[in-house]
Amino acid sequence: MVIFENVGMRYGMGPEVLRDINMHLASGSFHFLTGPTGAGKSSLLKLLALSHRPSRGLLTLFGQEVSRLERSDLPSFRRKIGVVFQDFRLLDHLSALENVALPLRIAEADEELIEKNVTELLNWVGLGHQMQARPPTLSGGEKQRVAIARAVINRPQLLIADEPTGSMDPEMGLRLMHLFQELNKLGTTVVIATHDIGLIQKFQYPVMYLRSNTLHFATAQEYLSQYKRSGV
Amino acid sequence: MSRFFGISPELQLEKDASSRYLPVVIATMVFLASLALIGLFSINSAIGNWSAAVSGNLTVEIAHDSSIDLSAKMEKAVSVLRSIPGLENVRALSLDETAELLAPYLGRTDVIKQLPLPRLIEVTISENSAVDLLAAAKKLASEVPGAVLNTHRPWLDKMILLARSVQTIAAIIMMLISIVTVIIIVFAARTGMVMHQEIIEVLHLIGAKDSYIAKQFQNYFARLSLFGALPGLAIAILVMQVLAWLADRLEAGLISAPSMMFEGWIALAMIPVLVVILTTITVRLIVLGSLKRMM
Repeated sequence: MVIFENVGMRYGMGPEVLRDINMHLASGSFHFLTGPTGAGKSSLLKLLALSHRPSRGLLTLFGQEVSRLERSDLPSFRRKIGVVFQDFRLLDHLSALENVALPLRIAEADEELIEKNVTELLNWVGLGHQMQARPPTLSGGEKQRVAIARAVINRPQLLIADEPTGSMDPEMGLRLMHLFQELNKLGTTVVIATHDIGLIQKFQYPVMYLRSNTLHFATAQEYLSQYKRSGV
Repeated sequence: MSRFFGISPELQLEKDASSRYLPVVIATMVFLASLALIGLFSINSAIGNWSAAVSGNLTVEIAHDSSIDLSAKMEKAVSVLRSIPGLENVRALSLDETAELLAPYLGRTDVIKQLPLPRLIEVTISENSAVDLLAAAKKLASEVPGAVLNTHRPWLDKMILLARSVQTIAAIIMMLISIVTVIIIVFAARTGMVMHQEIIEVLHLIGAKDSYIAKQFQNYFARLSLFGALPGLAIAILVMQVLAWLADRLEAGLISAPSMMFEGWIALAMIPVLVVILTTITVRLIVLGSLKRMM
């Protein structure tokens, strides 16, 4: 599903923000990604979201080496990836319903199907009464739920979420984690970037953590005991 | 068509302050280009008129000489000209008619008639006849000394050269206007790209093709161009009508009202279409080029 081989990344002529990343995420796996601020978490997510190309090394997504992809192939690849941005990146002039419907409209799905699926999903994330509301009128948690709904509406094969439960109350956070689990059960590979130790403790999924721009792996238990010892 | 005139749903380019005045700039450019085109076709039309008016006519001029009987010389010249095949109408102008021709430049005819005026004979060449004008001129000069056959050709050639030069300048002006218009559109499109970079990035990441994004830009800018080009063209036609009215009032033989043949009107009507096509292609190329630099 996702293979990184000696991947490095730098912005322009700057220093490498990611070094020698090697990882293999199997199809249908669920991972947490964590690490201190500035360790390269966002850069790794950008590589996974096909927002940037690696500066070196090989990145293989869905069986295709990314550097060999034609530009015209990128949209169909990106439609297999759902991204939840930390800052939501909703379009303020569109309603919640229109924001969530956007990936389907871009993929030229049938309007009737769009209406049905989007309404169903917004109801599920508890925004059935806010469908016509625009993002500036929504709270942080509500915006985040709209962003999550937009990321999962296409039933992506890979879901990347950057601090998806950061702006919501614990109950809604758990509800959305259950949504991610449901998608994962259907075969979606999930990577969740988080600083929330409670979330790692509760769900016990394997952890990838970044330290000094390099990536390390641990089970949830290993990571938690390391965290308790040294506060990684 | 409805998509063409529809708003850009995600990018909301309609709300950009940066491109709001683009129609005014396009209107100005189209106005100038239309005037240049009107000038180009009007000159073409005038050259045709001058050519038609002059090419079938000749003038014979007999210089004033107070020592001889000019009327007798005129009669002889008329009879020589009538004997040349291919000359249809030979008519000697009276002194009054000659004075009237000069009246717009010199004033009262009764005063002009006191001057040592040359005598003129108007000659019309038969249609579709091949007259050897050089031989005719030689024959006339040998039989009527002092009589000069004037074909108007050298004068017409100079006028045509002047007119063609003006036409070339008009064509260069049109080309410069096109280049400036393209530069303005490129600048506006690039500014739009920068202003909407975040939304473009989101659209890319949720699977939008480059052409999906480019279409929103090209439709919006094409619409702005059309909204600028139509008033620009209308004002140019209005100015042309005012100039035509002023030229008619002038009643000067050479300065004719700007008038265009059918092809000219077609070319004028094509200007907004061409501006829209030029805008669409320019914006598409610019946006696709900029998107390529993003991943």
